[in-house]
Amino acid sequence: MSQEKRVLITGITGQDGSYLAELLLSKDYEVFGLVRRTSILNFERIKHIQDRIKLISGDLLDQNSLINAIKESNPNEIYNLASNFFTTASWKQPVFTGEITALGVARVLEAIRTINSGIKFFEASSSEIFGKAGNVPQTEKTQFYPRNPYGVAKLYGHWITVNYRESYNMFCCSGILFNHESPRGGLEFVVRKVANTVAKIKLGLCNELRLGNLDVKRDWGFAGDYVRAMWLMLQQDKPEDYVISTGIPHSVRDLVKIAFDYVNLNWKNYIAVNPKFVRPAEVKILFGDPSKAKKKLAWKPEINFEELIKMMIDADLEKIKNDYKNI
Amino acid sequence: MKKALITGITGQDGSYLAEFLLSKGYEVHGMIRRASTFNTSRIDHIYRDPHIRGVKLYLHYGDLSDSGQLTNLIYNIKPDEIYHLGAQSHVRVSFDIPEYTGDITGLGTTRILEAVRRSGIKCKFYQASSSEMYGDAPAPQNEDTPFRARSPYAAAKIYAYWMVRNYREGYNIFACNGILFNHESSRRGETFVTRKITRGIALIIAGKDKKLYLGNLEAKRDWGYAPDYVEAMWMMLQQDKPCDYVIGTGETHSVKEFLEEVFNYAGLDWKEYVEIDSRYFRPTEVELLLADASKAKRELGWSPRITFKELVKIMVDSDMELAGLDSPGEGKKILKKKGIGWTQNHLTVG
Repeated sequence: MSQEKRVLITGITGQDGSYLAELLLSKDYEVFGLVRRTSILNFERIKHIQDRIKLISGDLLDQNSLINAIKESNPNEIYNLASNFFTTASWKQPVFTGEITALGVARVLEAIRTINSGIKFFEASSSEIFGKAGNVPQTEKTQFYPRNPYGVAKLYGHWITVNYRESYNMFCCSGILFNHESPRGGLEFVVRKVANTVAKIKLGLCNELRLGNLDVKRDWGFAGDYVRAMWLMLQQDKPEDYVISTGIPHSVRDLVKIAFDYVNLNWKNYIAVNPKFVRPAEVKILFGDPSKAKKKLAWKPEINFEELIKMMIDADLEKIKNDYKNI
Repeated sequence: MKKALITGITGQDGSYLAEFLLSKGYEVHGMIRRASTFNTSRIDHIYRDPHIRGVKLYLHYGDLSDSGQLTNLIYNIKPDEIYHLGAQSHVRVSFDIPEYTGDITGLGTTRILEAVRRSGIKCKFYQASSSEMYGDAPAPQNEDTPFRARSPYAAAKIYAYWMVRNYREGYNIFACNGILFNHESSRRGETFVTRKITRGIALIIAGKDKKLYLGNLEAKRDWGYAPDYVEAMWMMLQQDKPCDYVIGTGETHSVKEFLEEVFNYAGLDWKEYVEIDSRYFRPTEVELLLADASKAKRELGWSPRITFKELVKIMVDSDMELAGLDSPGEGKKILKKKGIGWTQNHLTVG
């Protein structure tokens, strides 16, 4: 029993949760995931591994459900990936964002502390906490300046994680992850949105890609690489915080050009800039310096930006073709 | 005639701020929680006889956990200024009730900001940010010093600080963060160390207690006098542009020094009466806070009137009188001389 490795993942139905679950299954963990009860099942991303993982009902709003989930799964490691992640929606639901993305972390930490403070804990912090950051690239020492309610909530999540580590000697790590996407990413996130729309345009199903600010620059990586970093953090002797990123910024314009070039189309014929996609208090450039992770975790991204885009377009081309075959 | 809404009006700062604004002719509205026991002792002296004195103070039930009521209050009152002082404000306690602290002290701020935004009224908003946000950042601390949370309270206050910045920058709401260092008075809560000490010595002299139990005596804080600090809050909202300001005295003293000042003033040796109880230690301590309030001095013309030693005398005099003793009286003389004239509570000296 003590040799077995057990993990509890919140947000297992999300992009990162699904890749992390796969990774940990491959490392012989017994994998438990926290899922909310919804009338429409949202398990598409974990369908293919559902028979190998155990799902426990719970919610970051409900402290007791978290305590139950921890008691039931008896994990060695907990990865808190759940949040209501979408920066622009956070302006419309700022309190709810705080409840889940900020307070949810406090609830999980308190549950761990009261049941078994030896459980290792990973908090999925976000580069959004850097926001209008002073220096570029951003490192673990860069000053925080979040620019939306989601970023502010994530900043709280980061600090409460640090505080529990320092106050109670708990093994708690805050991974400050820069943007990371994949074929399983939500369609509202720009790389997936572009890949999916380009695939549709290529298949003749639409003829326009609507975006906001093309000059915004981000550091985009592949989610499958980033979950590996999360796991590595919890295998170290000491708990620390790490920036996880590729270290290479690209503009939305770069993204669009690579995507359309891949399918041999001219991006200029299909782009429409829509002001509704431009955010209040926009963050112009975010890119991180992952040298600490490279050095201490021996981590580096395997998939580069072009490969990521191509992977995602290929996946969407196939998915759309399959969907249409069934009609 | 301006209208102000104060959350946390029953607290130390809220009660002084209410008096201050009334003295300036404001109509003051305060939000209080419904409790089966009375919780308005700090404002009872201004709430009595509203018709006779023509005092324009109105209290409303509400809670920082209740978005609906916050919106109703703001929409119906239409205040020109909102002073958001309400919070779970005890750092040590926040380790025991971290979720509640995050909800009220953190999310409560988001709820009230949203209420302001949705009401569509044009008003100025003051947020009670705290020096606790600095944690172990190197001193002296000013508006540009990075925050480092060392408690669930600090994490919640950092969250609230950044929500205020985001609403200011994202929606052009006139919202200011006052980053106030520790500020005390006769009305300070009895579980905060300064008041705990001054009340404790009065009870010891009155023969009602034998010992005073304290925690970490080495922690250093920048302690000022609360009525000075509420004036700074008001000054921030009178500016043309919203800004964040550090408010503090620029001096730092350990708990031990505060203890020595208090006991010397009352003529006793603290070592005979004080014992250390580890339950008062914080799991993670903030060792040193020291304000650099030069921006407030330069732009608001604010500086503290009451010094550390004077604060001690004021608080000891007040607690001794409350315990039915005769006080040395120097604190009362200081207040008369320095004229914090806008506060009328005869029980708490100034």
